[in-house]
Amino acid sequence: MDKKYGVYICTGCGIGDALDIKSLSDVAEEEGFSCQSHPFLCGKEGVELLKNDIAEKGTNTLVIAACSRRVNYDAFHFDGCIVDRVNIREGVVWSHPRAEFPALTEEEKEEGDKFDRVQMMAEDYLRMGMARVGKVTLPEPYLLENFTRKILVLGGGVTGMSAAMDASKAGYDVTIVEKQAHLGGNVANWRQQLPISAPYENLIPTVVADKIAAVEADDRITVKLETEVARIAGEPGNFTVTMKTPGEKIEFDVPFPLPDDMKVDENGKDLDVDAQHAKYLEYNEGRQDILQLDPTGEKFGAVILAAGWRPYQPEEGEYDYLGLGQVPDVVTNYEFEQIAAKGKIIRPSDGKEAKSVVFIQSPGKGDDSDFAYTGAVTSLVALKQAKYVCDDYDDGKAYVFYQHMRTPGLSENFYKSIQQTLGIFLTKGEVTGVSKNGSKLAIEASDTLLGENIQVNADMVVLATGMVPVTVDSPVINLAYRQGPGFRDNDLFDGYADSNFICFPYETQRTGVYAAGAIRRSMTIEESVEDATGAALKAIQCIESANRGVSVHPRSGDMTFPDFFFQRCTQCKRCTEECPFGALDDDDKGTPKLNPTRCRRCGTCMGACPERIIGFADYNIDSIGSMVKAVQVPSEDDFDDPPFRILGLVCENDALPALDIVGLNNLSYSADVRLIPVRCLGSVNVIWIKDALAQGMDGVFLLGCKHGDDYQCHFVKGSELADIRMKKIGEALSSLALEEERVAQFEVAIDDYDKLPKIINDFVEMVEDLGPNPFKGF
Amino acid sequence: MADKYLVEPDIGFIKEISEYGGGSLKKCFQCATCSVACPISPDTKPFPRKEMIAASWGLKDKLVGNGDIWLCHNCGDCSTLCPRGAKPGDVLAAIRMYAISYYAGFPALGKIVNDPKKLPVLAAIPAVLFLVIGMIFKLFGVHWLNFSPQRVFEENDKIGHIAHHMFFSTWLVDLIFISASIFTVVVFALGLKRFLADIHENALREGKTNKQKIEFKEFFQAFIKTIPTILKHSKFSECGENTERATPHMMVLFGFIGLAFVTGFFFLVLYGIGIHGPYDALIWSPIKLIANVSGIALIIGSLLMLKSRKAKQEDQVSTYKDWFLIGLVCALGVTGMLTELTRLADAAFLTYLIYYIHLMCVFILFISLPFSKLAHLVYRTTAMAYNEYAGRK
Repeated sequence: MDKKYGVYICTGCGIGDALDIKSLSDVAEEEGFSCQSHPFLCGKEGVELLKNDIAEKGTNTLVIAACSRRVNYDAFHFDGCIVDRVNIREGVVWSHPRAEFPALTEEEKEEGDKFDRVQMMAEDYLRMGMARVGKVTLPEPYLLENFTRKILVLGGGVTGMSAAMDASKAGYDVTIVEKQAHLGGNVANWRQQLPISAPYENLIPTVVADKIAAVEADDRITVKLETEVARIAGEPGNFTVTMKTPGEKIEFDVPFPLPDDMKVDENGKDLDVDAQHAKYLEYNEGRQDILQLDPTGEKFGAVILAAGWRPYQPEEGEYDYLGLGQVPDVVTNYEFEQIAAKGKIIRPSDGKEAKSVVFIQSPGKGDDSDFAYTGAVTSLVALKQAKYVCDDYDDGKAYVFYQHMRTPGLSENFYKSIQQTLGIFLTKGEVTGVSKNGSKLAIEASDTLLGENIQVNADMVVLATGMVPVTVDSPVINLAYRQGPGFRDNDLFDGYADSNFICFPYETQRTGVYAAGAIRRSMTIEESVEDATGAALKAIQCIESANRGVSVHPRSGDMTFPDFFFQRCTQCKRCTEECPFGALDDDDKGTPKLNPTRCRRCGTCMGACPERIIGFADYNIDSIGSMVKAVQVPSEDDFDDPPFRILGLVCENDALPALDIVGLNNLSYSADVRLIPVRCLGSVNVIWIKDALAQGMDGVFLLGCKHGDDYQCHFVKGSELADIRMKKIGEALSSLALEEERVAQFEVAIDDYDKLPKIINDFVEMVEDLGPNPFKGF
Repeated sequence: MADKYLVEPDIGFIKEISEYGGGSLKKCFQCATCSVACPISPDTKPFPRKEMIAASWGLKDKLVGNGDIWLCHNCGDCSTLCPRGAKPGDVLAAIRMYAISYYAGFPALGKIVNDPKKLPVLAAIPAVLFLVIGMIFKLFGVHWLNFSPQRVFEENDKIGHIAHHMFFSTWLVDLIFISASIFTVVVFALGLKRFLADIHENALREGKTNKQKIEFKEFFQAFIKTIPTILKHSKFSECGENTERATPHMMVLFGFIGLAFVTGFFFLVLYGIGIHGPYDALIWSPIKLIANVSGIALIIGSLLMLKSRKAKQEDQVSTYKDWFLIGLVCALGVTGMLTELTRLADAAFLTYLIYYIHLMCVFILFISLPFSKLAHLVYRTTAMAYNEYAGRK
């Protein structure tokens, strides 16, 4: 595309009052860009002006110096045109009020040694915008050669069946894969379930039978019983899935990556690449490589992971003090449900009626935590099972000892109705022991609401043990990905299949795989059904994005994808290993193979690549590098006391919006910083930092999301990887006699906007104390 | 583990409390808003939160002998502020009613007093008793009951006037009433003995007192100290939600005190000096004034109570025990006043009839006292005196 450039400056919203628009226009014209200003560029007349230029003058590359790109997105979007939004409103004028940063008086201008920091800032940003548009191109979508809309559902329980029906209703063909010989999952063996509709007060028969009937009657849904997936290869829109009978060994069983302890020799030294590869082949003997597609495999567009949960298995002796495993009449809630499903509640030990039952919600032992893998659902299940006791026996008594009674939303109505049951007794308290007491059990508790240490004699005790997601035991999804068959670092989530529970429900760390139900967190049936709908919609979104070559999430609609300049690839595998989403596989030589529909376009590979051969059409090493170089760094040749220049690389997801809010709130920060938005700190290539310091900038800071166990990075690993890279660059800096402190990374969340000015100003002050960059002026 | 309390819920107890007006007790979720809201609950081990869980667990032993339930004056602040509609005030009232029955003993009589279906039986007892005893005496030639009572003539009095003792002789009335009073006192005495022992034991168990034993001299001093509090209704007035209830309650209490005083006074006049009523010459004397004012206070007080209970039917549970007592007090006052007025109006038949009903009311008051809600007069007074004595902590 032949670029025809145009620079447009909006003078509205206080920009024209604060800046010298003439000088700003001169900056554009010096670079040979035609420049126009308008008092209300996003208004009808202003947009007409732009459209006219596009239609009549053939302008197709526009640099619009106005507000933040996060506003007026639609007004300034023109098909077939490259648009750069230079943020001189929130980023310059609003965040650097003239009251604090006064303009030069006429005399000061004459003197020549004085400078206007705010004007300099606006001019730099304009230069950076102009530099960028020269280095970017319009993206073209990546389109799959083979594409399918079919959806695979793993798990035939309530969640899986609900998801399948939802997808089917939306017009998608679905296959349910279920390990067991029947549909229904865990719920199939229950007596009753919690209410799912108004008035949310009474137990109802489980929804399983209705769901099974509906699934079986649905022509779009195929059910494969006694089946599991051996491997899922390929990428969203074009997965190749091999299925098998559970337990069977086949050549398309997914290979596992070499465990770390096998990557070293007897002396603990790392094996070389070839030796590791040999070991890997040996380790996966009899299994085809991940890149080998199963010719008989079935094609799917997206996967819904609804494999559910299994009951918690206490370790040997774990709950001895509660009698579990010691006394036959102490059972788990799962076992109790099975007793209840068979008929009246009877004691396992002697088959006699169990008319008094104690339900224990928390294991005690000095802290108030509940059993592992529990939640609101286990509170509700205890209430449900307590009701069984009173339903079965008129003189039945059920005691619930809890540390937390969680009955969210309308299940509060159920709690109230249970409370009203004469024979149900609830108290917070710590159960200290369960022991045999004649033919009964003696349950002792302290810190109860009754105000003293108490003892209850009962026929049975039920422990509210948790629902363990099956992803704790095995990868389940068996992805033929180089990074391995399951989700990475899943222990951060206690094994639950989730990438960020609060912000991105249903998302996993693998694009195209969406989790729903108890594999995501312990859930009731009602919640699981709702969850299934969410995951089905995500699967549909994925398919309908993959078919257009755009990103699904979180950069929904982004048409770019990483482009590799393979001639210079050294097969270091860093991109393959660091991609947070396993989007890259590599062949046996180590050459990366991109699967674009797996990619989330974060650019972590671009930040990782030491050869700098990875880039996106509108975001690459050169485009950002040129912006860095476009910043003017004044030296003592220009002024007696030149201002410092500090580069800030700002994550688009939280830090950039936070900075806009700083502007909106008229908070101010140093005018000596120059900020460049980046897709994720993971995409920051250290070359940009080196470039900045080499041209005399005095410091560089990165603003991004929190990392670590409670990370908030939208791309899971980006800010963490940036942190590692920044630590390494520090060593390189000290070898150049530059202080390590000149490069720093700060964590901000979107609501930390009020803290941002201090973070920036403190860093600027710290750099000022270090003194100017000794390379300045060279 | 030291001092374990063996929990043995009594579902029958929960049902009974519900029937006495505590039907909301299971709604409590133990937030303790009630204990915070209560203006008269002590700072340590405050009620009624702990009573609420004990009630919903059916722990009769923690409630019946618990002095705290009597410290509550049922103002209703807790019920108004309860976020769950558990109405702790009404639950405590129901527990108190249960406790009254429990300590009174004689469950058959208790049932007659507290069961609305048995009201005709209760009314029939005095109605029949007076006639039967009167008739029996008549058989033996003692005419304490005259169906055609003669008028009484005083000196220079040609017309004469009505005197009720010509209908039911004072001997007959007092024979029956003194017996009834003795019964009441005995029932109370037996109940109080157990009650005091129980609340002391409860206080010791729950660590509410340092006193190991009840020393009667000190206890009596504490009782004396409590009397002004009761008379002034100062605890009652601390309650926020229905302070307006204090005035009617005070009217009724002082009405009763006034009438008891007048009754005692004329009892002495009759048996000491031997002068029979109706003492018309004294009609403007202070003593008659006290009697009439007390009667009017009783009527107005009970009517006001009736009105406020009616108005509050949504916020406050009113059961038969409440209506029975207010109704009885009201009937007592009204029949008493009407007896006097019809007598002065010289309406012989009417006045004898009303007098007869009035006597029935008085009798019912006497014998139902230990079984009805009115027993709070004794138990709350005792509990307050004990509280003063034990120095609740």
